[in-house]
Amino acid sequence: MTTDTHEPQGAGDMRRRGFLRGAALGVGAVGAVAGGAAALTGATASAAAPGATGSPRVAFHGPHQAGIAQSVVRSTAFLSFDVTAADRRELTELMHTVTERARFLTAGGTPAALGITDSPSDSGTLGPQVPGDGLMVTVGVGASLFDDRFGLKDSKPLRLTGMPAFDDDDLQPAWCHGDLSLQLSAPNPDTVLHTLRDIARHTRGGMQVRWRMDGFTSPPRPSGTPRNHLGFKDGTANPDVSDPAVARQLLWVDGGGEPAWTTGGSYQVVRLIRMLVEFWDRVSITEQERMFGRARDTGAPLDGVHEFDTPRFAQDPTGDVIPLDSHIRMANPRTAQTADSRILRRGYNYDRGMDSNGNLDMGLIFVCYQQDLERQFTAVQKRLAGEPLVDYISPFGGGYFFALPGVKDRSDWLGSGLLA
Amino acid sequence: MSAEPEPAPAAGPRADAEPAHPIPAEPVTGADVDPSAAAPADAADAADAADESAEPAEPATTNEPEPETAGTDGPADSDESAEAEADPEAQAEPGPVPPVATASAPERPETSRGKRARRWQITAAAAAVAAAVTAGVLVSAGGHGRSDADGTTHVAADGLPHTAVDASPGSCGLGWGGSGQAKPRPGTQVFDLHNSAASATEVDLIDPRTGKIYGEVEGLAPTTSRPMLVDLGSGTYAFKCLQEDTDAVTGPTVKVPGKAAQGPATLPVNQHQLIPPTLSYQRWIGSRMTELARDTGVLKNDIDRGDLTAARRDWLTGHLVYERMGAAYDTFGDADGVINGTVALDPDAVHDPDFTGFHRIEYGLWHGRSAAQLRAPAAGLDKAVRDLRATWSTRRMDPASMGLRAHEIIENAEQFELTGRTDYGSGTNLATARANIDGTREILAELDSLLAPRDPGLSRLDASLDRATADLDAQDHDGTWTPLDRLTQARRERINADFGDLLERLAPVAAILDVRRTA
Repeated sequence: MTTDTHEPQGAGDMRRRGFLRGAALGVGAVGAVAGGAAALTGATASAAAPGATGSPRVAFHGPHQAGIAQSVVRSTAFLSFDVTAADRRELTELMHTVTERARFLTAGGTPAALGITDSPSDSGTLGPQVPGDGLMVTVGVGASLFDDRFGLKDSKPLRLTGMPAFDDDDLQPAWCHGDLSLQLSAPNPDTVLHTLRDIARHTRGGMQVRWRMDGFTSPPRPSGTPRNHLGFKDGTANPDVSDPAVARQLLWVDGGGEPAWTTGGSYQVVRLIRMLVEFWDRVSITEQERMFGRARDTGAPLDGVHEFDTPRFAQDPTGDVIPLDSHIRMANPRTAQTADSRILRRGYNYDRGMDSNGNLDMGLIFVCYQQDLERQFTAVQKRLAGEPLVDYISPFGGGYFFALPGVKDRSDWLGSGLLA
Repeated sequence: MSAEPEPAPAAGPRADAEPAHPIPAEPVTGADVDPSAAAPADAADAADAADESAEPAEPATTNEPEPETAGTDGPADSDESAEAEADPEAQAEPGPVPPVATASAPERPETSRGKRARRWQITAAAAAVAAAVTAGVLVSAGGHGRSDADGTTHVAADGLPHTAVDASPGSCGLGWGGSGQAKPRPGTQVFDLHNSAASATEVDLIDPRTGKIYGEVEGLAPTTSRPMLVDLGSGTYAFKCLQEDTDAVTGPTVKVPGKAAQGPATLPVNQHQLIPPTLSYQRWIGSRMTELARDTGVLKNDIDRGDLTAARRDWLTGHLVYERMGAAYDTFGDADGVINGTVALDPDAVHDPDFTGFHRIEYGLWHGRSAAQLRAPAAGLDKAVRDLRATWSTRRMDPASMGLRAHEIIENAEQFELTGRTDYGSGTNLATARANIDGTREILAELDSLLAPRDPGLSRLDASLDRATADLDAQDHDGTWTPLDRLTQARRERINADFGDLLERLAPVAAILDVRRTA
């Protein structure tokens, strides 16, 4: 598709706009521009495409959304929205708009030229050309979307519910749940914020932010999996979902009694977990390591040497080396029976200033994906109940969502299977 | 003190029509002169005047700039503008009235709401075009922001085709479409406009058949180039060069072939066209002032006789009348701060003697103050309103601000009412927001004849206004309004969504009604 701007919109139409501000589409970097460039001067598409920051674009179209199977990147914003669209038609329009903006912002290109008809179509915070910059946009739907408002009651994913309060949670209602989830991830925070600003501008009438948490991933210190605010590497034991068999077993929904439209999607759990870092810093290193079951410096299991050594729980049945109540042992006992309860973690650190008592307010945006909420996240969470670590953390928000299947091609849109 | 404020001291709308010319960027002289009298220089002059690199060696005769075809500024103007411009007196008189009165009152602890004194020259289009300036080194231009005017189109580092075009009156629009020049093409592209003349110029890319503007660059300095980013479909186009102190010149008409849909464009609005709606609006404001003075008199009487229950009711009535007049704050000058000012968030600020007006009285009425304590503020408010009304007939609203006010009323409502910033105890922010919608509707109604042919989003704007109105009205319980903090989360999100949507639809109104020179 080469001509975003000359498609079905009528001549002279300012092409703004449906119920929402609508999509004043820009010119895709790889579409019209590159084609035109080659025609005019023989320049190659790559020469014509802007790529200032050098981050490779992540494909927008495919059977799955971006931002799930890919590795975490440096910067993210996680948002929950309440839908204010009045009916199903407006909700459909909202999803079209989100899709169009995400498609353009992911591909990058020149923002639409609106002449004297409007204020500029782009905030300009990424410069005159939107670079793409490895942006990943991931959209999910919450259980509340399937209430009476939009006639979706019969389409709810089988296992989608509101997030319950677990034993050690201290949930704040204003930081929980939501009709939609939106995660924006990119190598640079300006790209994330530009995307958020753009999508919000185009959807003000259709949805309102319920809560938002920005996050980041640290670089490897000094190597391996990035560390969280507790100083430990976080995500070492993630399943290798680049193996299609593993992804099929653990990650993607495909049948199993689920509504047909859910195929290619995945259950998304987000938990906002405050880390009491001052308290944690007053705990001895031995105790810290025994809570996790890993060495802080290397990330290795306490019975190993290197980060990715496999702990041998069977050879330590009484927990002399890796305590029985350590985090890694309770979360993933590495038995045949627990193999299918593994989850794909994509956590980000957050930092949001100070607490009222003068302590640092920081923690983890825990995000995980799984094929089956009950079989995976809930099972893990129940195993973790009462682990020693709970004294140093406080889950206060988040929600359960279902990450929609991918957008197949240019004619497809997020939620098409659900709403069409 | 007359019962009905006259719109102007001098009789007749023409005297009224004299606006305070806000900023002298638009040359008044010559604007009403028949542009055909000032035909562009001939090709030889143009070649002399032009930057050598921007000038084709032998301009094709079919490519010469053409003078305007008529005494008006061509088909760009709708009928009403032609009428306005046909009246030389409309601009002949000097403007004795200062331009927009400032809303700031330095001696006050805090001014009233933050009306932005936005200058109309700062246009959306200019901002959009500016985006391309930093696009990077242009392939053909070595970073000078222009391509060689060698009759070709180059693809620059921004990935867009760039075409160099001259924008001086003598060679306006030369560089594309003629023989030996760059071939017209549809799509998003950049024209690198070069001003080879001796004074600054404004450049529009228009469809000469309709007069619609597709792109605009203002204040193009002599010997400089700036990019114009446009989205062109199949159709006819011409550059229009409006050099300072010179009549507009329209360059050759160029046809873009094919069947591509045309990009966004609309008709410009000039100052003359905005004068009638401004006058009409000013008269409407005059009527509201009469209503307001009656209401503040009632409020004063309530307080004087110690009936604070009645005072709380009548306070709201009067305050909402004032809030409906939202589009006129700038014109009220310092009086706005006296009548409707707020104070800093510091808890002691409410005791500042300079805290006056509606919000001062509101604070007292809803914080257990006695009638005796409120007598002076009530009398002060009533006096300020009557003084304002008495001087209203001598005030002039700036026509150029009409479009800005149309969206800034709601911008202010979102910023100060939907956040509760202006609440001093009455919990009536939603009522105020509702009154602000009334005020916006009034100004939009005045502008409708200009907007209808220019803004295809009007019906959706109306729908957005209706939705916001309905959601606010649902919080009006027989004159008692739900305070912001008592709204359910869903209701509050819905109202926020209504206003967010409304604001996005009002932004084009301001952009389209930006005053533009048309001749």
